[in-house]
Amino acid sequence: MDQSTIVLLLLPILLIQIGLMIFTLIDLIKNPNPNGPKWMWAVLIVVVNIIGPILYLVIGRRNY
Amino acid sequence: MNQFGILFHKEWRENLRNYKIFWIPIVFILFGILEPVTNYFLPQLLDSLGNLPDGAVIELPVPKPEEILQAVIGQYQLIGMAILILAYMGTIAGERRSGTATLLYVRPLSFRDYFLSKWLMASITGIVSVWLGLLAAYYYTFLLFNQVEIIPFLQFAGTYSIWILVVVTIVLAASAAMPNAGLAAAVSLALVFFMQIVDSLVGAYWTFSPMKIPVYAVQWLNGEPDLSDYWWTLGIAFAFILALLFFGTGMAKKKASTAKV
Repeated sequence: MDQSTIVLLLLPILLIQIGLMIFTLIDLIKNPNPNGPKWMWAVLIVVVNIIGPILYLVIGRRNY
Repeated sequence: MNQFGILFHKEWRENLRNYKIFWIPIVFILFGILEPVTNYFLPQLLDSLGNLPDGAVIELPVPKPEEILQAVIGQYQLIGMAILILAYMGTIAGERRSGTATLLYVRPLSFRDYFLSKWLMASITGIVSVWLGLLAAYYYTFLLFNQVEIIPFLQFAGTYSIWILVVVTIVLAASAAMPNAGLAAAVSLALVFFMQIVDSLVGAYWTFSPMKIPVYAVQWLNGEPDLSDYWWTLGIAFAFILALLFFGTGMAKKKASTAKV
């Protein structure tokens, strides 16, 4: 397989990860009352790949 | 509209607003794609990150496409199930605490419809997510490795869907029976993971238990499981789901008074 096909194959992964991160960050900024300090969640979402946004959505949003 | 329809509509709206119907499928798709891709690039990854001495040669056999799908299920069994359980741990227990429940419970509410509407919504989300994830994995496996026959794949994904139903039912029943979301998650995680360990340790003595569904699902990829065992397992799984549905409805009703105002 040549280089461009491989890039095309990897693109969805990158898009999903970045999309999830941006989406979660926007939600965090808008959230008036997250479960824990905002800056902590922001760091977690940006630094910890995939798991960070998921943790925020599950625990941080207080939506249960 | 009947009560079930109204309650289901409420569940749908709620899942839309807390984005569960968006991010759960996305996460499953991500893990479905990651598995074939990491397997494909494993030699290069070992080369650049493995800290191997110069000149070390590792011969990796090219994995069969069926093995990739099996690995995807391995991921789903660990991370996927944890996500499903954490996402739905609060469906009933959290509602009691947040006060949504009091708005519902003061009305003449059919607890059967109440529980079933939540169950249906969670099951749809879970099964759709798993199917999307498995289809993504199937497509990537096809592109990077080889094709898996479509019929075994459908049998495999179909069987695995039953397992998702079992897990979702366990979470909802635990959520109905436990006083808070955290305990509900702990109980269902313990049930799902601990029972699987027990089943794999001493489960050689019995061939049918709901915990064996993922094992049978994977067997469809490499041939056919023992059909009588397979159908017995599915039958017991359905009986288990039905019993848990009754249990959950009963608990939701019994614990309705614990809702905080």
